[in-house]
Amino acid sequence: MMDLRLPSGLFFTVLGLILVGMGVFAPETRAALTDANVNLYAGLVMLAFGAFMLIMAKRASGKA
Amino acid sequence: MHLAPVDYLILIVYFAFVLGIGWTLRKRMSSSSDFLMAGRSVPVWITSLAFIAANLGAQELIGMSASGAKYGIMTAHFYWIGAIPAILFVGIFMMPFYYGSKARSVPEYLKMRYDEKTRTYNAVSFAVMTIFSSGISMFALGELLHLALGWDFNVSVLASAAIVMAYTFLGGLTSAIYNEVLQFLLIVAGFSPLAILAVTKAGGWQGIASRLQPVMTHAWTYMGSTQANPMGVEVFGMVAGLGFVLSFGYWCTNFLVVQRAMAANSMSAARRTPLIGAFPKMFIPFIIIIPGIAAVALAKMGTGYAIPLDIHGGPDYNQVITTLMAKFYPAGLLGVGLTGLMASFMSGMAGNVTAFNQVWTYDIYQSHIRKNAPDQHYLHVARVTTIVGVLLSIGAAYVAQQYNNIMDLLQLVFGFVNAPLFATFLLGMFWKRSTGHGAFSGLITGTVVASLTWCLTVAEGKGGVLGNLHVFPSAMAQSFWIAMLAFTGCLVVTFVVSMATRPKEEKELEGLVYGLTKLPDTSGEVWYQRPWPLAIAVCAILLVLNIWFA
Repeated sequence: MMDLRLPSGLFFTVLGLILVGMGVFAPETRAALTDANVNLYAGLVMLAFGAFMLIMAKRASGKA
Repeated sequence: MHLAPVDYLILIVYFAFVLGIGWTLRKRMSSSSDFLMAGRSVPVWITSLAFIAANLGAQELIGMSASGAKYGIMTAHFYWIGAIPAILFVGIFMMPFYYGSKARSVPEYLKMRYDEKTRTYNAVSFAVMTIFSSGISMFALGELLHLALGWDFNVSVLASAAIVMAYTFLGGLTSAIYNEVLQFLLIVAGFSPLAILAVTKAGGWQGIASRLQPVMTHAWTYMGSTQANPMGVEVFGMVAGLGFVLSFGYWCTNFLVVQRAMAANSMSAARRTPLIGAFPKMFIPFIIIIPGIAAVALAKMGTGYAIPLDIHGGPDYNQVITTLMAKFYPAGLLGVGLTGLMASFMSGMAGNVTAFNQVWTYDIYQSHIRKNAPDQHYLHVARVTTIVGVLLSIGAAYVAQQYNNIMDLLQLVFGFVNAPLFATFLLGMFWKRSTGHGAFSGLITGTVVASLTWCLTVAEGKGGVLGNLHVFPSAMAQSFWIAMLAFTGCLVVTFVVSMATRPKEEKELEGLVYGLTKLPDTSGEVWYQRPWPLAIAVCAILLVLNIWFA
């Protein structure tokens, strides 16, 4: 059976990279009511979550 | 709302992943039970999140945020009172019978416990309902995307349905469940930043409370009488009508959610599926309802945000979420938010399609149209049914678009059919004397009682076609009371008819009824894998939440 942590970890890593990229290279991208660089912060959280899932999947496949 | 290329990129990445998951799983589909029941081999954290996600469709997301803006934090009762107790009950008390009976579906359990006519009544009404609720949800999404982004209704409905069809056709229930987990995570990722940003901008919870009527930020304080709150519901109606009859009827008997738990890889995992799912479920109000409440506060602050209006100039709360996203999300995060909305739609639709598929294939086709065919035949039927189910849902979406009144009427009728269901299961599982004739006549009576109650009472100018014995302060109050009366009618008639008819032999009821079933022994497992400690932990958090927002 496929380990779902792999595709979901991958998905959030990609999503996190896109958002962090936006946050770093276009930090002035804002919506009318946002004051902070939310792309960067949300991207970092997603990146961390994605990496966590990938590490969990790696550890599980190492044991098997 | 305007989308940048990066937002489209995120949407495309998401589509690629859901299709990729379906594609990877296609090779495992060698029998009808692989396709329809996920081979009963899915790990518990996955079934738990899918259990919650299948219910978290676009209609729920849009409706609950709208209700938050309209009624305030009382909307959270739909989760804290109207879901969690029933979810705990199905995990602790009912799953041993569903999973242990080896029934493949909820209607099939009714066949084993009662008889063929009770099963068929449940299977047919369920199949029709799933198609229409899938269609209504599709319609809601198509409308919203059209209003928010100007996307063509036809394109968004057909494209999203095609993607759901592709991945459920390829990988069946496993693919639907796996994608539901991804979708659930994406919904959280797409909506929680909105909650944080909107609440912060509105000055935190205190800031929101200071700008709104107190009834908007208190869940229990104004429930003493029906006049004190805008829902028009008092404590008894809420707890007994929503919390007991409606919510137990949904979470404990609706195959859409029960199917996810039944796909788990062991009895222990099947019981824990709803219990673990209850943890995230309790916190969903924070990312869906709270933004709706914050929107009302923001609209009073002169921030430039205003509640959207409909064509008649009244508030259109259904658009609250998308208009908030437009104001708070920059290009990039906006793509994630929008993808989250699409994800909720797809998980709801895939849930409906896979449940429809199994009930059609096993409970209608196999038991009435063609018995005893080789399994490959049923696998083939199941695959074709996936396509047919999606096409029928699309048809239902267009019916919803063209004839609003028909849909209102249908939802009303579904309510009448569903209201008495829990009584039938309760007696079936816990009273061995109840009989098939009793259950069937009870169900019919419950539906008749529900229809009569609606025909004889009035709420918001609706109902009362045969007379007017009582006026309810709101349609919600009316629906709660309809449910309570239907439940009682079903309970009484099932009891009376059962006493007058011959019960099944006890040995036929082994594994199906309390008292004749060996309950699973969980004493050897670690505490966090046992049902009771999990349920107690859920209750403790639930209590804190209710007191906090009382």
